[in-house]
Amino acid sequence: MPGKKSLHIESSGQLCIYCGACVGICPLNCIYLDEVRITFDESVCTRCEICVKACPVGAIEIG
Amino acid sequence: MQDRTTDVLVIGAGPAGSMTAKWAAKHGARVVMIEKRQEIGSPVRCGEGISKGWLEEVGIRPGKWVNLEVEGARIYSPSEKVFEVNEKHAGNEVGYVIERDGFDKQLAIDAANAGAEILLKTAAVSILKDHGRVVGAKVKQFGEPYEIHASVTIGADGFESQVGRWAGLPTNIATKDMDTCLQYRMTSVDCDVRYCDFFLGRVAPGGYVWVFPKGEGLANVGIGVQVSQVQHPADPRTYLDQWIATHPGYAKGKKIDMVGGGVSISPPIRQSVTDGLMLVGDAARMIDPLTGGGIANGCIAGKICGTVAAEAAHAGDPSAGFLQRYDKGWRARLEEKLYRNWLAKEKLVTLSDETFDKVIDALSDVTLEKLNVHNILKAVHEKYPEVTKEFEAFL
Repeated sequence: MPGKKSLHIESSGQLCIYCGACVGICPLNCIYLDEVRITFDESVCTRCEICVKACPVGAIEIG
Repeated sequence: MQDRTTDVLVIGAGPAGSMTAKWAAKHGARVVMIEKRQEIGSPVRCGEGISKGWLEEVGIRPGKWVNLEVEGARIYSPSEKVFEVNEKHAGNEVGYVIERDGFDKQLAIDAANAGAEILLKTAAVSILKDHGRVVGAKVKQFGEPYEIHASVTIGADGFESQVGRWAGLPTNIATKDMDTCLQYRMTSVDCDVRYCDFFLGRVAPGGYVWVFPKGEGLANVGIGVQVSQVQHPADPRTYLDQWIATHPGYAKGKKIDMVGGGVSISPPIRQSVTDGLMLVGDAARMIDPLTGGGIANGCIAGKICGTVAAEAAHAGDPSAGFLQRYDKGWRARLEEKLYRNWLAKEKLVTLSDETFDKVIDALSDVTLEKLNVHNILKAVHEKYPEVTKEFEAFL
């Protein structure tokens, strides 16, 4: 989407601990946790950055 | 897999789900409880401190899952003045440090013994609806999709509940009503096994640092930070590491485990039922906003939820109107305290470190007969009258 910042969730396990904090707080319910995989729906996400703050280990970046 | 039908479908086998399944089965309903993980209770995402006054009410007998019994809690102000809350003034609020995985398994065993069927590695992927009413869920068991039709469906799927959202219930929470948490299990630390310790103020903005002893130098050392007070990514880890580094008895410890998660510290959910569906536990935002504890309330509501689910199945009436019995029931038991503690939390997060110091200092001087807001404010007023001005709304 032009003009939109990119959201990156480091969910390979280097940072992510699969706790689901981002899933629970996402106001648009566009982040999904599936055991050891976190994905988000690019088309729904508005880059509100709430998940960035909710992540206890800093595994979500917006740039 | 073939589609199947049951009276009550419980999604999620945590404490609230197992308690619901147990009480629904005890009241004669056919119950299927599904759990997406391969092991109930694992991985543990919990500080593992619980109060004990409510256990009997919901039919839980202390078992092997009791790690140790504490005498009280110590609340530390930013300059580490300490106020001790013991059994005398907190009654049964003081309690146990538990092995949470064993606790969850025991509750699932209780549900199974009451007649509930449990399906592991079975995740709900969507809810089924018929003319607007929830009539079960589409699930995947070992990756294979099929449908479970149910008179009543229960969302007990925790903080990150999908079921509540799918059903359109108001589960959204504001950033000021959520704590982001991180906890290490540490070994070789100097903690007092007689107490659960809580550290307030700038060490954990909008939350607290906790130390819950597990015995033999082992402890859960964790932190919750209000999401709206997070300044930088990974603040919980930064704050917790800082706290540990500045406390020699912990700095020498070794981390053997790390867990994280979200905890709602919100007012109670406005609506917990819809046609054919009820939400229970963390999914229904039943966590105590002051302590962050969710197990007791989830179990208490679970008993009511299971009972009403069985009644609805027997009556053949899973309408929202009928299920309101559950909404009314848990509110009568829990809502006043949840709301009061939410207001107290809203106030506490605004206090400066200096005010925290004065409050704890005043409390450490006096012997409180009973711990309640009135008595606390009275004690603070005697020593620091200017501080109580901030709390006039509570009097």
